Amino acid sequence: MATVLEVRGLRKFYGHFEALKGISFEVREGEIFGLIGPNGAGKTTTLRIVATLLAMSGGQVKLLGYDLRENPEKFRENISYLPEEAGAYRNLTGLDYLRFMARFYDRSPEETERFIERAMAIAGLGDRLKDKVGTYSKGMVRKLLLARALMTKPVLAILDEPTSGLDVINSLEVRDIIKRYAREGLSVLLSSHNMLEVEYLSDRVALIDQGKILDIGTPQELKEKYEAPNLEVVFRRIVQ
Amino acid sequence: MKKFTNLLFKEIRELINKQLIFSLVFTLIIFYFIGQIARQEAKRAEGIRRIGVLDLDRSPLSRGLLDNLRLVRFKIDEFETGDKEEALRLARERNLAFLLVIPSGLSEGIERLETRELETYSFLRSFSMAEARYGEIFRVILDTANNYLSNEILKKKWPEISPENLKKPLKSRDFVIVRENRAEASASAIAGFMYAQSIFVPIILAMILIYSSQMVISAIAMEKQNKTLETLLTVPISRSSIVAAKMLAAGIVGLISTLIYLAGFRWYMRSFTGDIAEAASSITTVIKELGLSLTTAGSIILLFSLFLAILCALALATILGVLAEDYRSAQSLIMPLILLVMIPYILSIFTDLRTLSLPAKILIYAIPFSHPFMTTQNILFHNYMAIGAGIVYMLVVFIILVIIAARIFSTDRVLTMKLRWRRRQVVL
Repeated sequence: MATVLEVRGLRKFYGHFEALKGISFEVREGEIFGLIGPNGAGKTTTLRIVATLLAMSGGQVKLLGYDLRENPEKFRENISYLPEEAGAYRNLTGLDYLRFMARFYDRSPEETERFIERAMAIAGLGDRLKDKVGTYSKGMVRKLLLARALMTKPVLAILDEPTSGLDVINSLEVRDIIKRYAREGLSVLLSSHNMLEVEYLSDRVALIDQGKILDIGTPQELKEKYEAPNLEVVFRRIVQ
Repeated sequence: MKKFTNLLFKEIRELINKQLIFSLVFTLIIFYFIGQIARQEAKRAEGIRRIGVLDLDRSPLSRGLLDNLRLVRFKIDEFETGDKEEALRLARERNLAFLLVIPSGLSEGIERLETRELETYSFLRSFSMAEARYGEIFRVILDTANNYLSNEILKKKWPEISPENLKKPLKSRDFVIVRENRAEASASAIAGFMYAQSIFVPIILAMILIYSSQMVISAIAMEKQNKTLETLLTVPISRSSIVAAKMLAAGIVGLISTLIYLAGFRWYMRSFTGDIAEAASSITTVIKELGLSLTTAGSIILLFSLFLAILCALALATILGVLAEDYRSAQSLIMPLILLVMIPYILSIFTDLRTLSLPAKILIYAIPFSHPFMTTQNILFHNYMAIGAGIVYMLVVFIILVIIAARIFSTDRVLTMKLRWRRRQVVL
């Protein structure tokens, strides 16, 4: 499989605090790559740098061979980012919001409609898409945003804590959506502090703590390597 | 361009929400009704005024005085009683506002060139504008009576000479000179007319600047509060387009809101000032002779100056908006900008900004929003150097502010920069 995203020696300082201490990993075409670790490990910082929101302090990030420092616009054309605490414009209807976002990526009105049809299928919100976003529940907003992130079939979907704050039912639905639509060929870089969720979703995972990657592999490889029943135990054993 | 218009329409749509429409319509209705009521009150006060009169003199002179009062739109209810208290009771019963008591012996006293006192009683029943205007009646009555009586005396002494010529042997012809233009008019009348005609200009300027700035600060703060900014910053559109779309949308909505508020305010003000067009008919020719009417070129210069001031305000508001954490903090952050607009606005109403002391002048000229407040006068008095310098200064300030705003938006400071009131420091 070809490499879509390549991260080499990535460093990030917030003042004197070093949040990322030279992490390296790659995301391959069609794979779901999970970053797992506790709060404050550096997951969101990594995702925000790849999403062009934060400037890196050192290292190199490449998407389809384009360097992030030199071509941030190429990144924005090919990625789709779902922040952990994202919202949508409350005065727009769900449909208007999808149309507004689709127009940044489309090449024709027909393509806009195709994006929206796909988003409608992903979100599964039916007629509620005609209502204003301000009337949606948290779960509905999350599904709408996930649909927005996936509707344009980006080269790389960046999902930060995709089930954050959702109840069990909504979390299961969101996981199913990610799993189902990732199989259509798009690459996914996701983060979560819920290690069981990442284990269920990801093809490969990187365990990250205090700005450093501790290990990378498939969930199965890691469990075998550390003789653990799940990734939570793997993480605990590595840290200890 | 398609992406920019997509963003622009979204921004306008976000800004024109139900709350804004309700606020605009409500304010318009309130202004209209207050204006209508005030106008009715003013008309009532200016209508035919009824007064009660107790004539204790009953001489041809006092009868002549009453005829003169009728000529100046007084309707007279005359009491036949000879008792003042009885007349007061009757006036109260008939709900009259005034009672005029002409003393006995008025005629004889005047013949002997002695001063006599008229007594006036005012029944104050409220503190409305109409009641306040009735106070002027005292002056009208006294002036009418004095004029009539002095004319009668002079006519008797020197029947062959006009009393007016005796009372005012000197008359004046007033001329006003503006630059090389000269016209026959009084300087106070011209200044009063120009003030009345241009009273809306600083109001428009201040409102547009404040509204537009508030819109753009709120737009950025709402993006942060609703957690939509991060997503917007990752879509394939340049950061400068995001800034420009927000500024343009705020400018458009701010302008529309201002025009609507102004229409309501104009309805309200017309109840006090009357229709300027009607009042202007006699003085318009003089204004044109003096070259004090704003030409098309002058209007374009004024609009350009205003446009630059709006751009400066929007750029500054964009920077302040980044510092806001949410909509509430945005409302506090707008205060410095409002102050910068209000200082030249208030000063322009009470004084000529160009005649201030040097330190005050430096301070005022350093505020970019001061320049449009001075532009109208500078255009009319052909101070083109001052206009040019103001425009160049605003342009420079705008470019600096836009560069700062664009730099903030093109780096991660747009997400990390915020003003924390508790620590009182900027966190970068």
